[in-house]
Amino acid sequence: MKPPIENFVNYDADTGMQCGNYSIDIPELKDGEQYRFHFDATVCIGCRSCEVACNEQNNNSADTKWRRVGEMEGGEFPLVRQLFNSMSCNHCIDPECVKGCPTNSYIKIQKTGIVVHNDDTCIGCHYCTWNCPYEVPTYQEDRNIVTKCHMCHEKLDVGEAPACVQTCPSAAIEIESINIKQWLEKDIDKQANMPNLADARITNSTTRYTLPDNLPDDMKEVDEHILKPAHSEMPLVFMTVLTQVSLGGFFALFLGEVMSILGFKGVNWMMALLVMIPASLGLLLSALHLGRPFLALTAMKNLKTSWLSREVLALGIFVLLMNIVVVLYYFEASHRVMLLVEIFTLIVGVFGIHAQAMIYRIKARPSWDRITTNFKFFGVAYVGVLLLGFLTVIIKVSEVAVPLITLAIIGSLLQLFFTYEDLKTLKYKDKNEYQLKRTARLYDENFSKVKQFRFISLILGGIVLPLLVVVLLSSDSYTLASLVMFISVVLVFISEISDRFLFYSTVVSLGMAGGFFVGKQRG
Amino acid sequence: MIKKIKDFLGFDIKADKYKLSNDPIFGMISDEKKPDKWVFSTCGYCGVGCGLYIGVKDGRAVYTKGDPKHFVNKGVLCLKGLSEHQLINSPERVTTPLIRKDKELVYDSWENVYSKVADEFKRIKKEHGAKAIGVISTGQLLTEEFYTLGKFVQLGLGTNNYDGNTTLCMASAVMGYKQSLGSDGPVGSYEDFEKADCIVLIGANIADNHPILRLHINKNKKNPKIIVIDPRASKTAQMADIFVPIKPRTDLALFNALAYIIIEQGWEDEGYVKANTNGYKELKKHLQNYPPQDVANITGIDIKTLYEIARQFSVNDAVLSAWTMGVNQSVMGTDTVSAIINLHLLTGQIGREGAGPFSITGQCNAMGTREGGFTSSLPGYRNFGDKKALSEYAKIVNVAQEIIPTERGYRYDEIIDAIDRGEIKALWIVATNPLVSFVNQKKLRKVLAKLDLLVVQDAFMSDTAEIADVVFSAATWGEKEGTYTNSERRCNKANKAVEPLGNTKSDFDIIIEFSKYFDGVNEMLFPSWNKPLDAFNEFKEVTRNQLCDYSGITYELLEEYGGIQWPCNEQRPLGTKRLYSPDIPFRTKDEKANLLCVDWYPMSEPASKKFPLILNTGRTVEQWHTRTKTRSMDILNDLAPEAWVDINPKDAQELKVKSGDRLSLSSSKGKVEDIVVRVTQTVAPSTIFVPFHFNTQLINTLIDDNFCPKSGEPNYKQTAVQLHSDEVPDGIEFKEEQRGVISYVKIENEEIKLKEREI
Repeated sequence: MKPPIENFVNYDADTGMQCGNYSIDIPELKDGEQYRFHFDATVCIGCRSCEVACNEQNNNSADTKWRRVGEMEGGEFPLVRQLFNSMSCNHCIDPECVKGCPTNSYIKIQKTGIVVHNDDTCIGCHYCTWNCPYEVPTYQEDRNIVTKCHMCHEKLDVGEAPACVQTCPSAAIEIESINIKQWLEKDIDKQANMPNLADARITNSTTRYTLPDNLPDDMKEVDEHILKPAHSEMPLVFMTVLTQVSLGGFFALFLGEVMSILGFKGVNWMMALLVMIPASLGLLLSALHLGRPFLALTAMKNLKTSWLSREVLALGIFVLLMNIVVVLYYFEASHRVMLLVEIFTLIVGVFGIHAQAMIYRIKARPSWDRITTNFKFFGVAYVGVLLLGFLTVIIKVSEVAVPLITLAIIGSLLQLFFTYEDLKTLKYKDKNEYQLKRTARLYDENFSKVKQFRFISLILGGIVLPLLVVVLLSSDSYTLASLVMFISVVLVFISEISDRFLFYSTVVSLGMAGGFFVGKQRG
Repeated sequence: MIKKIKDFLGFDIKADKYKLSNDPIFGMISDEKKPDKWVFSTCGYCGVGCGLYIGVKDGRAVYTKGDPKHFVNKGVLCLKGLSEHQLINSPERVTTPLIRKDKELVYDSWENVYSKVADEFKRIKKEHGAKAIGVISTGQLLTEEFYTLGKFVQLGLGTNNYDGNTTLCMASAVMGYKQSLGSDGPVGSYEDFEKADCIVLIGANIADNHPILRLHINKNKKNPKIIVIDPRASKTAQMADIFVPIKPRTDLALFNALAYIIIEQGWEDEGYVKANTNGYKELKKHLQNYPPQDVANITGIDIKTLYEIARQFSVNDAVLSAWTMGVNQSVMGTDTVSAIINLHLLTGQIGREGAGPFSITGQCNAMGTREGGFTSSLPGYRNFGDKKALSEYAKIVNVAQEIIPTERGYRYDEIIDAIDRGEIKALWIVATNPLVSFVNQKKLRKVLAKLDLLVVQDAFMSDTAEIADVVFSAATWGEKEGTYTNSERRCNKANKAVEPLGNTKSDFDIIIEFSKYFDGVNEMLFPSWNKPLDAFNEFKEVTRNQLCDYSGITYELLEEYGGIQWPCNEQRPLGTKRLYSPDIPFRTKDEKANLLCVDWYPMSEPASKKFPLILNTGRTVEQWHTRTKTRSMDILNDLAPEAWVDINPKDAQELKVKSGDRLSLSSSKGKVEDIVVRVTQTVAPSTIFVPFHFNTQLINTLIDDNFCPKSGEPNYKQTAVQLHSDEVPDGIEFKEEQRGVISYVKIENEEIKLKEREI
C-alpha cells in the first residue's frame, strides 16, 4: 500500500517559518502597502539554493539568473566577517526600469507593488539592464528580450510561496508587506541598505535587510578581481556618433544659411544631403542592437518618462526635417522659409542629442552619469562641421571653407578638453569612486592603446591636419587640400568612434557583490 | 533560413517554453517540465537524507521538489538536491558495459563482461587464493545493495579484503563510538539541533556540506549558543557566538583540557558518571597531563576561552556536539572522537533531548554500509571475532559458519599496500573514485597499474573508470529502489522514478547476476532473490535485537512516515529518536560507557623551512565529491568550476599575488600546478585551504599517506606545503613560531614519545 500523494500546496511544513511551505500566509494588503522581500543576512549561509530554485521554477538556463547571491568579506582573521546578499528584484517604489522603459513594458502592479515585466511588448533594447542600480533585469539571449524576477506573483496571488522563499534552509528570504509612507519616511535608510549595494534611495528599494551587528567597515566584494569590459554596443557607438555628426553638420549648414544673408555664397542641396546621411544611417543601425528589431518603432511609447523614447522621437523628426530641408533647397525655397524650417530642425536636433545624452545620465552607471557625457556628445558636432568643410574644399569655395574649418578646429579643441576632463574626473573623490576607479583601470589596463589612439587621432585629425588645409587653401592647392581634408575627416570620425567605443566598454555598474568565480552573473 | 531571420528580427520570445502551469501536487511550476507523475524518494547526495519527490515526464526526470512532510528537510532542499534530476541524463554517464581491448575501453555485452571478470577472479583465486581479490566500495549505494555486495564478497568470493570509501570519511567516528560506547551508531537526532541550549560544531562546515542542518538550528527557539571549533573561519564559523580558531590538529588536546577544567571546577555530573561510566579515576589522573595553560599554548586558544567553552557543558541543560571530517580525518581521529565523547559522559550530556556527541555522516548512505556493509564488522553491528555473533549470523542466513570471516581483512590503505606488494591481484571498485579521493595520488596511480585486473562499477565515467580493465555500467539515483540511512539513523526510502539509462543496471541486479557466474553462490546466498525487498527482508532479520534494529521497518512505513530512525522493532514501532536514553544501555559488556585516556600528538610533519605552510582541504557546497555527478551540471559547476587556494593577505603579499592570479603548490609527495588564488582572511597566516573535488587541480597528490592506526582514516587536513608564484618561485619564508609544548609529550630525535607515566 502506498499512501496517496496529497496536495502539498496547502500542507503546513511545520518549520514555523515561511521556508519549506509551498504556500505561505501573507497578510492582506491594506491601502498604501505593498509586498517586499526580507533578507536576513545573519542566517544566510551562502548556499545558493535560492538561485537554483528560481531557475528550476522559471525554467531558466544556468546563464539566466534572476536571483543571485553575492559574497563579501571584511575584518581580519579570526574576526573576519563573511557576508552574503541573496538578491533578486527589490520591487522598488520608484523603479528606474519602469521610468526608462521606452515601450512601457514594466508594470508596477497597483495592488501588490510587484514590478513585473511584459515580455510581449519588450523590444530587447537593454535600457533597463543599464538603468537598474542593482542590475536586476537580465537579457535572455534565446528569447531576444529582457526578463526579471516577478516575486512569483502568479503564485503569490493564489497564496503560494515564491520558489526562493520555499527552498531557503535558513528562512533567510521571506515575503512581507510594508506601509510605503512609513518606509519612505522612516525605515528605508536604516533597513534597506547593504554594503556594496546601491543606495536604496535611488529607486526607493523595498527589500528589508537584516545585517549582522558590528560589520567591519572594510567589507569587500569577493569578485573584485574580476574586471571585464562591458558590452561594446557597436550599433550604438555608430548610431550616437553619426547622429551627432549630423547635428554638427546641420548646425554649420544653418550658419551658412544665416551668413548667406550677409552675402556669402549660398548653401546648396548637396550640402544638406551630406549632413542628413549620417543620422539616417545611424538611426537604421540603432535598430540592430535591439533583440526584436521589427518592433523598433514601438520605442516611442513612453515619452512621459523615458529619455530613450524622447530620443527616438526627436531624432526621427530631426532626420525627417533634414529631408525636408534637402527638398526645400532643391526647389530653392525662400530664405525666410529656409531659416524658419532650419531653426525648428536645429531645435529638434539639439533636443534629440540632449535626450540621447540623458539616456546615459543614470545613477546606475557612474562613469556615464557625469556632465562630460553631455559635453562629449555635443562635442562630436565638430566632425559634422569638418565634413561640410570638406565638401566646400572639394567644390573650391575657400571663403566658406576656411571659417568652417576654423570653427571645426575650435570644436576639436573643445572635444579634446572634454575628453581629457572626462578621464581626469574618473579619479576624483566621489561616492562612486569604487566604480569610477574601475572604469579608469579598464581604460589603462584593457584599452590603453585605444585611449592613446583617441588622443593622437583627435589632435592630428581635428587640429594639425585642418590647420595644414588652411595653409594649403591659402596657396590654392585645392587637390592636395581635399586629400588632406579627407584624411582629416576620416581620422576624426574614427577617433570619435574609438572614444564612444571606450565610453560603452569601460562602464562599471553599481550592481551588487558577486561570486568568486561567477562574478556578478550579468553581461 | 526563415527561422534564422525570424530569430534575428526577434519574432519568437519562446513564451511557451517559459510559461507556468498548475500542478495538482506542488502548485505552479514550469509548464514545459510539468511531470506526468511524482515519485516519492530521498536525496542521494549527502548524509543529511532529505525527502523529496522526483517529477517524471515522458520517462525522464524533470524536477526535484522537497517533501514538506519529511522530518529531515520539511520541504526545503539545497542547490544540489534541487537540481538532482539533471544528473540522471548527465553526459558523464557510463551507459553500457565496457571492456579494455587494445588499450581502448570498448562496448561489450553484460554476459561477456561478467564472464571475463568471473574467469579472472577464478583464475586469481586458484593461483593466489581468494584473498588476492580486493574490493573497495562506497557510501553511495542503497542498503540492500551494500548488504548484497558484502555478502557476495565475503561469503561468495571468500575474501575479507573488502573496505569502503567510508574509511576515508566516517571510520574514526565508528571506531570512536565503538571504543567509548561499545558500539557504532550516532547518538542524536536532527531534532536535537532544535532543542539544544548550546551547539558545538567541531571541524564541521555544515554551511557547505550539510546546509539543510541550518534549518534545524533556525528552528531552535532558545537562541542557542553556537560554538564553532575550526582552524578556518569557514562559512559555518559565521554562525558562531564563540569562534575557536584552533591551530591545525590540536583538537584532541583542546578536548582533554576542557575535560580537565570540567573536573577541576567540579562541573561534572557526578551521579551520571558513577552510574553510567567506567574509568573516571584514570581519566582524572590522565588529564593532569593537559593543564589549560599548556593546552592554550598548543591550540592558540586563551585560557579564558577554554574555561568559557568548558563552562557551557555545565551551565546548559542540553549541549550538542556535532562533528565531521575535521575530527575524523586525522591520525588520531578515533581518539579525538573519544575525547569529545568524554566531555559528554562527564557532564551527562547524552541520551537526552538536545544533548549528545553527534557524528554527522558524509555520504547519503554511509550508515547503510556501516550497518550492513560487511566491511568493518559483520552485518548488524556484529563484531568480527565474536563467535556468538558469528553463529547467530550464520543461522539467520542459513550458511555454514566456516565461510564467515572471523576477522577483518585489509582496510582501504592496507589493500592499496597489498596491491603494491603484489599480494592482491584484482581489485573491484564500486561507486567510488580513488584517483581523486585517496591520498598520495602519484603512488596510488603506480600501484593500481600493477593489478592483473581492475573492475570499476560506476554510473559515471570517473577517473578510476578510465583506467579500468572492465567497467560495469551501473544505474544511479532515481533509477533504482532501496533505502538510505542518514546521520540520525533514519532509514529513508529511495524509489525508482525512471528506467536505468541505456544499458545500465542497478547495483543490486549487477551483483545478483554476477553471482550466477560462480558455482552455487547465487543459490546459497541469494535464493530466489530478484528485488531489493528480498535483501531488505533478510537484513531486517539480521539486525533484529541488534542496536541497529530494522526489524520493525517496512517500505510502506518509510513512505508513510517519511523515514524511521532505528532501533525500530515491536517495542519501538516508529523508531527511536536518540540512543542511550535510560532505557537503552551502552553496548559494552557491563553496559557502562568508557571514559578513555587518550593522547594528543604533535603533527609528524609540521611546517618546516622547505614546506612552511599547512594545507587544509575540504569541500564546497556546489560540488559533490569527485565531481563525477556535478561537473556537467552548469547550474552547479559554473559556480565553482575549478579548485582555488585560500591564502591569507600576509602570505599573498609575500608571494606577490592577488586574487585571480595563479600559482602552484608542492609538498613532499608532489606538485599541483595552475591553481587560482583567493586572498582571504578566512584562513590564518601560514595556513591555506584548497577544496579536494577537482581532478583538474588534484590536491590529493600532495597529501601524505598517514592514517589513524585505529580507524585507517587518512590525515587529509594537515599537510606541510610550499606555494610557488611567478614572482616568488621559491615561495614564502618559514617563520619559526613558538610552538606550544606539553611537557608530557616529548619530541626526541624527531620521534614523538610519551613520558613514562608516573604511577
